[in-house]
Formats: sequence, structure tokens, C-alpha cells
Amino acid sequence: MELLLQTLINGILAAGIYALVASGLALAVGVVGIVNFAHGEFTMIGAFIAYLLFVGTGLDPFLSLGLAALVLFGVGAITYLGLIRPVLAAPELNQMLLTFGLSVALQNIALLLFGADTRVVSTSYQGATLSLGGLSFGVPPLLAFGLSVVILGALYGFLDRTRLGLAVRAVAQNRLAPGLLGIETQRVYLLAFGLSAALAGVAGVMLSVMLYASPTVGFAYTLKAFAIIVMAGLGNLRGVVPAAIILALAEALVSTYLPGGGGWVEAVFFLVIFVALTWRSWRAA
Amino acid sequence: MILVGLLLLVALVLPGLPLGEWRAFLLDTAQFAFLISALALAWDLLARTGQLSLAHGAFFGLGAYAAALAAPALGTLPALLVGGVVAGASSLFLGLATLRLHGMYFAIATLAFSEVMRTLVLKAPFTGGAIGLPVQPAFGGAFPLGGYYLAVGVLALAAGISLLLSRSRLHYAMAATRQGEAVARVLGVPVIRVKLLAFMISAFLAGLAGGVYAMKTLFLSPYDAFGLGRAVEALVIPIFGGLYTTTGPLLGGLIIVSLETWLRLRIGEGYLVVYGVILVLTILFLPRGLVSLFHRKGAGHA
Repeated sequence: MELLLQTLINGILAAGIYALVASGLALAVGVVGIVNFAHGEFTMIGAFIAYLLFVGTGLDPFLSLGLAALVLFGVGAITYLGLIRPVLAAPELNQMLLTFGLSVALQNIALLLFGADTRVVSTSYQGATLSLGGLSFGVPPLLAFGLSVVILGALYGFLDRTRLGLAVRAVAQNRLAPGLLGIETQRVYLLAFGLSAALAGVAGVMLSVMLYASPTVGFAYTLKAFAIIVMAGLGNLRGVVPAAIILALAEALVSTYLPGGGGWVEAVFFLVIFVALTWRSWRAA
Repeated sequence: MILVGLLLLVALVLPGLPLGEWRAFLLDTAQFAFLISALALAWDLLARTGQLSLAHGAFFGLGAYAAALAAPALGTLPALLVGGVVAGASSLFLGLATLRLHGMYFAIATLAFSEVMRTLVLKAPFTGGAIGLPVQPAFGGAFPLGGYYLAVGVLALAAGISLLLSRSRLHYAMAATRQGEAVARVLGVPVIRVKLLAFMISAFLAGLAGGVYAMKTLFLSPYDAFGLGRAVEALVIPIFGGLYTTTGPLLGGLIIVSLETWLRLRIGEGYLVVYGVILVLTILFLPRGLVSLFHRKGAGHA
């Protein structure tokens, strides 16, 4: 019973980061209509920013969150203006290939700059845990989870309560009508793509503490984010949080209860993608 | 067409030419280029139906492992066939489940498929896992050039099928499927069957190329055979060379693999950066590939 509870807690704590990365991807897909294969690479950049700041200035990663978010917003905006906007009207195949190319390029540039080693930000509280009724909570996952909840709350507040947020949601629902109503679609795209990258970057900062920074760390998160938004329904922002929790719980259960489970965790997101996609396609057919 | 024949002819006589001290290196690079070009041709066949596959690295790897495991018992040629058939069969399963999906959904499903294949090969008891799998050379090493000519053969087969398909009724069915599935269906094209057929032929060729690759490198590891690098090469080459053509992937393959080999010697890890950059630049500035440059000059129309 205790093992089960502990597993469930681990799963839920992991869901925070998943939801951050996936909300970013859902913004890119839902609002801009771009399937961004380079999304995980934005996460990777965030992780390296945290690592470099920590090594260079000793800045605590959780304090560099804001800076990383700003930098990644800029990276996302530049990516949108330089690469995405020119292909907005191109066939979907071209758009996917473009972001896939960006992903490969960023991964390998990082490989050239930093090598393939994994780098951990070792803070003083890294191994610290809180115990509560026989269950233990790691401090970094707890912090990351709390921050994720706050950031996601702010994101949903922005989308629900502000005029700009409403404009973003309007564009997500319909490409043409908001333009006729005086919403500047291009600026909404820019904002959404920047936000998308910033969310990925923030998640990356947290990863640098909980996992590590490496050139390929982001790629798995692209796939997991895809699994989540596919489960939620592509472009459906509301469904992201429950879908993230389901994926994280499934992974936690597999790693605890399946013999030799560690390696199979990597297969869980595939199963999720697969089941969600085929179920959808057969239901639609 | 003429260019394709010329290229294959050069490939055939290459070992006989006086290449000097670089001979071994040149032949080795050429063999690699032929196999990757064959993989690119195979990828292009599926792309003609409008599906973006990120699983071709996995088919290549499956073919490599299957051929390597079958070779001691069956001999070289039947083992290669086994490799192709295993890849083709796996594409049938993947395709039956996913080919109803469009665009991004299919791409994501194939990407996930290849990640899981790597996990399976890492975990399976008979593949050598993370340590790797030693492979016998082609024909037990009886002919030094055996592997080279096998690569030429696979390339010729891929180019032949690619040419044949662009002259067949299936070509129109594939093009119609790509350009508008609903319309194609109304016109009586069995869309799912066309896609499935293209997928299987494509995966079979990728598996064949993988088998010859295994007998060339003599050693397989999941990270090499199932790495994302193969899937990237398979799609960047046709796009750079020119989609939906036979000349495009051939030409692109030779150019890009030469570039890759040179870069690998110079910077080692991270050489794939060139694929990313080429992919992005091609999509932005030359979306119809190298081949479109020739057409514009030759025929006077874009």
C-alpha cells in the first residue's frame, strides 16, 4: 500500500514538468498550427542556461527561471519570425520537416559545443527529502511541482481573463474570423510561439536539477509532450494537465511494478501515443 | 533516367579504376553512400503518397539485425532477404494501425515506433543488447568486393523500383493520394491499400539496405543501427535532391554522404548538424530540391 502511494506521489510530482512542456507544445500546435519537433530542444536550451549560470555565477537554478524564460521567449520569437512565418502557408509536410531540421541542428550544435556528457546542477538541497507519514518527498521535485502549478495557473489565468489571452484563444479556434474582428493574428502567433518556447525553457531549468542537462535531453520530452497533447486532443489546452498526470502516473507504475521496469518506461509514451492515435483514427473512420 | 544509368555504371566499374592509395577508403565511402542513397530512394517511395515517415531508421536497423542473425544459418543472400521481409512485415503491422492517420499524427507515430524498436532491441535476449552484435562479412569473406557489389545491387534495385513506379498506374494513384485523399477516394483509388503497398515496398528496400550495411560494418549496436541519424539521412537526402524523383535521392545521396564523410573526419560527433541546416535551408529556399534547378535550365519552365 505504501509502495503504491509512494509511486502515485512520484508520478504526480513528475506530471508538473510534463504539463509545462506539453502546454507549450499545445500552444504552438493549437494557436500557430505548427507541429514543432524542436520543442524539446527549447527545453534543452533552458537546461543549459541553468547549468551555465550555476557554474559561472553560482546562481540557484530556481532563481534563473525568469531569465531562462525571457531568453527562450526571445529564441521562440526569432524562430517564429525567421523560420516559421515563411512556411505558414506551405504544405504541412514542409512545416514538419523544417522544425525537424531545426531540432536536429540544435541538438548537434549543442553536441559540438558541450559534448555528449550529462551535466547535473548539484545544489545543496538536491538529495534532500521531506518525510510525511512514511512517505518521502524529494525537495527538488516538490519545488518544481509547486512552481509548475503556479506557472500553469498564471498561464490559464492569462488565457481566461485578459483581452490578449482571449485573442490567443480566439485565434486557436478560428484562423480567419479574429483577423476580421481586428485581432492582429501575426502578433498573436508571435506571442504564442514565444510563450511556447518560454514554457519549454522553464521546464528545462527544472530538469537541470532533477535530471541533467545534455544535448539529447530534450528529445524525449518532445515525444512525451506529443503523447500528452495527442491524448488531450491536438490543440486542446484544457486537456493537457489531466493527460500529463495520466502519462506520468503510467510511467511511475511501470517503473515500480514491471520487472526490469526502468528501461520500459521509455516505451510507455509510445503506447500512449499509439493507443490514443489509433483509437481516434478508427473512431473517425 | 540516363543519369541514373550512368551513375550505376560508374558504380559497377569503380573498383576496377586506378584509385591509388585512397582506394580502400573510397570504395568504403562509396558503398556507404550507395546504401544510404538506397534508403533515401525507399523513403521517397512512401513520401509519394504524402506520408512523412520517421521510422525508416528503424526499418534499416531491423533489416540489419535480422540479416545479421540469420546469416550464419542461411547464408548471405537468403539472410538479406530475411532482413527485407522482417522490415516489410513490421511496416505492415505499423501501417495497418497507423496509415489511417494523416500528416503529423502519422509522423509522430512512426517516430515513437522507432524509439520503441530501439528499446526492444536493447532489451531482447538474442541481440547482444547494449553491448552489440558482431556480424559475419558477406559470403563469409570469400569475395573482398562482395559487400561492395551487394550495395550496388541494392541501389540498382531501389532505383529500378523507383523508376518503374513512376511509370506505372500506381504512380497516379500515389500522386492522387498525396494531393487530396478525399478526391482520390472518390476517383476510385483504394487509398489505404496504396499507402500500405508503398509503405511495405519502402520498408522492404530499407531493410535490404540495412542488411548489407550490417555485413559492411561487421558490428551492430542499437545506438548505431536505430539511431535517429539514419531516419534523418533517409529524409534529408530526397528533400535536398528533389522529392518524388529517382534522380533526386541518388544525386542528393552522393553529395550529402560525401559531405558527411568529410565532416565526420573533421569534427566527429555532431556531424549531423549539417543535415539539420541543409533541411532547414532547403525547405526555405529550394523546396523542390536540386533537381528543380536542372529542370529550369533545361526545359525553360519552372
